[in-house]
Order: sequence, then C-alpha cells, then structure tokens
Amino acid sequence: MKRIEIKKLKVSSQGKEILKGVDLSLGKGEVQALLGPNASGKSTLAQVIMGSSKYKVTGGEIIFNGKKITRLSPGKRAKMGLALAWQNPPAIKGVKLGSLIEKISEKKIEKSDSSSDLAERDVNVDFSGGEKKISEMLQIVSLKPKLVVFDEIDSGLDMKKTKTVAEEIKKELVEKGVSVLLITHSGEIMNFLEPAMTNVMVAGKIICSQKDFKKVLRTIKRCGYEKCKKC
Amino acid sequence: MKSAKNASYWQVDHKVKNLLSAKGVEIFKSPEAWEKFSWTRKYFTSKPKEGYFIWVQKQVDFPLVSCVSIMGKNVKQELGNLMVVESGLNISMHGTCNSLHFGCGQHKAKGKIILKDKASLKYEHIHNWGKKDSVQPEYDFILGKEAKLEYSYKMISGPEKLKVKTRVELAQKAVCTLKLVADCSFTKAEIEDELLLQGRNSSGLIELKLVAREGAEVSAVSAVSALAECKGHLDCQGLLVDPAMGGRQPILNLVPKLACKNSKAQLTHEAAIGRISSEQLDYLMMRGLSEKEAVDLIINGFLNS
Repeated sequence: MKRIEIKKLKVSSQGKEILKGVDLSLGKGEVQALLGPNASGKSTLAQVIMGSSKYKVTGGEIIFNGKKITRLSPGKRAKMGLALAWQNPPAIKGVKLGSLIEKISEKKIEKSDSSSDLAERDVNVDFSGGEKKISEMLQIVSLKPKLVVFDEIDSGLDMKKTKTVAEEIKKELVEKGVSVLLITHSGEIMNFLEPAMTNVMVAGKIICSQKDFKKVLRTIKRCGYEKCKKC
Repeated sequence: MKSAKNASYWQVDHKVKNLLSAKGVEIFKSPEAWEKFSWTRKYFTSKPKEGYFIWVQKQVDFPLVSCVSIMGKNVKQELGNLMVVESGLNISMHGTCNSLHFGCGQHKAKGKIILKDKASLKYEHIHNWGKKDSVQPEYDFILGKEAKLEYSYKMISGPEKLKVKTRVELAQKAVCTLKLVADCSFTKAEIEDELLLQGRNSSGLIELKLVAREGAEVSAVSAVSALAECKGHLDCQGLLVDPAMGGRQPILNLVPKLACKNSKAQLTHEAAIGRISSEQLDYLMMRGLSEKEAVDLIINGFLNS
C-alpha cells in the first residue's frame, strides 16, 4: 500500500483551474521531489494535500494510507500523520512558538535547547527567512508525521544551510521511515536527499517523472522548463 | 481583625458575606461610610444603597481583594463604591464581579478611586457574566500629583448588555495606564474611556483590545484630552471573528479621539480592526488543531500580546 496516492486531482480557486489532473504517489519512507517554474501549481498541490480552505477540489481524489481524505479538514489530516512545512508561514501575534509546539505535541522545549530563544518569540513574527525554516522544522518534527511535504524549504538558503536542513530532514524523518515530498524551485536540496523520483510540474500538470534526479536537473539547467516539457 | 494579613470585601446579591479590614486599611459598607465620614459625601454622587468604601491609610504588603457576585435570579445590584489611597502608598488590588447563576441579573456600579499625591495603585478588575445579565460599571479615577495608576479591566465572558465608562483625571506628573480587554459574543457593548491629562507633565496610555464574535455589537469610544503640557497615547485594537455558517455577523466600531488644548502636549493614537485570516486558521489546523481550538488560540494571542 502506498503512503499517499493522488489521482487525477483537479483544483480551482476563484473560478480559475490551477491543477489540471495531477497523478502522484509516494511509498512509505520514500523521498520524492517536485520541481517546476513559478506559478506552476506546486504550492497549491502542497496546500490541497493538507486540505487548505483556499482551494476547491473539482475532481480526482487523495488517498492516504488507504483512506480517502479529499474531504477531510486540515486538522484531521494532521492527526492522521500528514504535515506541511510552509514556504511563507503566517505570523500569529501573541502565540509563543514554544507554547504552540507544546500544544500540538505535548512536548516541552528544553531550556538548553538551541531553539529555546526562538520558542520564546511569537510564531513567525519578525522571523528571518532562516528562522522560519527552523520554526517549521521544529513544528514538523514535534508532530511525529508519516508524510511531510516541504514547500521550498531550501529557498533563500545558501549551500551550507541547505545541507544542514537536508541532514536534519534525513536524520529526523527519512531515517525514521517518514515519506517526504520535496517541493523545490532550485533543486539544490535534491543533491543532499537524493530523491527516488523527481517529478516536474508545468501549468498544473506533472509532465515528467524521472528516477535520475541529476538528469532532470541537468536538463532544466541547460534548457529550462519549456524544453523539459518537450523532452 | 485589625491584625489580619489581608483585607477584603465580598458581596453576594445584596448581602455582604465578608468584610475584613486590616491595620491601615479600613473597609466599610458604603452606606455606613456615608454616615460615619461626612467627607466621603463629596465623592459619592448620591447616598449609596450598597457597595464598599476602602480607605488605605498605611502601607500594606498584600493585595486588597473585592468580589461582588450575583447568585439569585433577577437580582438588581446598584453599587456605590469608593476607594481612597492616602499619599505615598503603594497598593495593589484584585477586583472580581461575576454572576454565579443563569438568570437575568443587573449589576450597576458607580465607583470613585482617589489616589492622593504620590500614591500608586495597581488594580486588576475581572468581569465574568452570564449571557442574560445587564452590566453597567462606571469608574472615575482621580490621580493627585505624581500619583500612578495601572488599571486593567478584563471581561472574560460578556453579558447581554454592557455599558462601561472609565474616566481618569491626572494631576501634575501623574502617570496612568488603562488596559481594557473584552471578548464578546452576543453582547451589546458600549465602552467609553477617557483620560483627562490636566496636570503639567502628566502622561497616560489607553490600550483597548476588543474581540467581537458571533452576534456581538461592540462600540467603543476612547478619548485622550490634553489640558496641559503632557503626553498621551491611545491604542485601540479590534478583532472580528467570523461566525459559523448561518451565524450572526459581529459588529465592531472603534472611535479614537484626541483633544488637545495645549500647544506643548503630545498626543498620538493608533487604531486597527483585524479579522482572523483563513491562512492563519489553515496553518494552525494543519498542525492538528480543530477550528475552534485555532480560533481560541489566535484570540488569546491577540488579547495577551
């Protein structure tokens, strides 16, 4: 049984179709990547997998651990083991990151923990780009998920920090059997996490799925996404 | 009771259940104070029927406590409260007004708090009412020279009708922070607060945080008036919460007012009404919270920030 199966998923927002029949599946403990140009629908797919209220599913279905979840609330999906690390998480004034983590995981952040300073601050309020990534990672790990979608976790990070984040994902999630879908624009993080399958999304459709991520990266680097479409 | 290590006043319906004075703190029923101390009559607007008179004459190292509750059905309280803190004393007070029933109670309170020169008061006032109650507190604070007031009014659960008036007069170099917080569902609330900066170098801050949930109609007028060289700031923040499908939309009106009658006064204000965004809700729900848990977390964050 696959961890997640997305079948012919069609999604619209404000009357505009964004996803035009997406098929994607991930096995248990598998790492896959989803590449694509800006506005191709990658982040929409991530949000729809989690049940965002912003989008309307007009066709197809999402099956998680053998159960249809297409109509479930985000809270129920999270309880089942789905998690999303946001690219641009919203600020929540007055709610300390530490208390949010305690609430969602019933786990206290130790004072000696290097993230304890961040835990004392309001969630995503005046966080730098790097701090947002740390905050998302802390929350994700504390949820003990079965599948995590990382939406551009590597955006704005230099090579060294990308490597650190990738190592953390490997240690805390992949090695523990968690399935990971990496959504990435640049693809840098793939060099450290070596996905088993790399999917390319253009204009709301997955146009290519390749096992050799290096080949995909080379093609995109050389010819861009438009050429990739014709490949 | 003079040597007791606390001082408190506890009234249920119209009956005083407990009245405890301490060394340096005299507490009387208001009608008794009216009779016993003729000088108090200039502060009471009329002869009080019920309520407390607290007279702090010496420094104490414990907080003063007042609790006024409604327990019986259809009880109509009409309190006349007076508190006088003598010069140079530094006092804290916890006041609670609540209902312990599910009927229609009425709680009217007219209070005056006098802080003499260099006196300081930290006052936490909590209101917690039933859905059918009608509540009307009116408090005047008179601050003498260099007096200091930190007043925090928090309404945890709103009545059907709420009319709150708070007014602070500040003399020379007096300082005041007025923090009013209310979380309203199905409450029709009229809130008025005013700082009168009368003395030179006085300063004051009003912080108003209001949440309007389903069926609430909240109107708040906050004013700072400068009559001398002084500093005042007004911060009004509101949060509208969308009701569940088919529920009555809340209404929230915030009116900040600044009135300056001295060219050297500095008055500033900020006001905003926000709405819980679907993005914030989605974010928290994707962390495993239900919609209600997510809304409550955002509201608590807003009220406590």
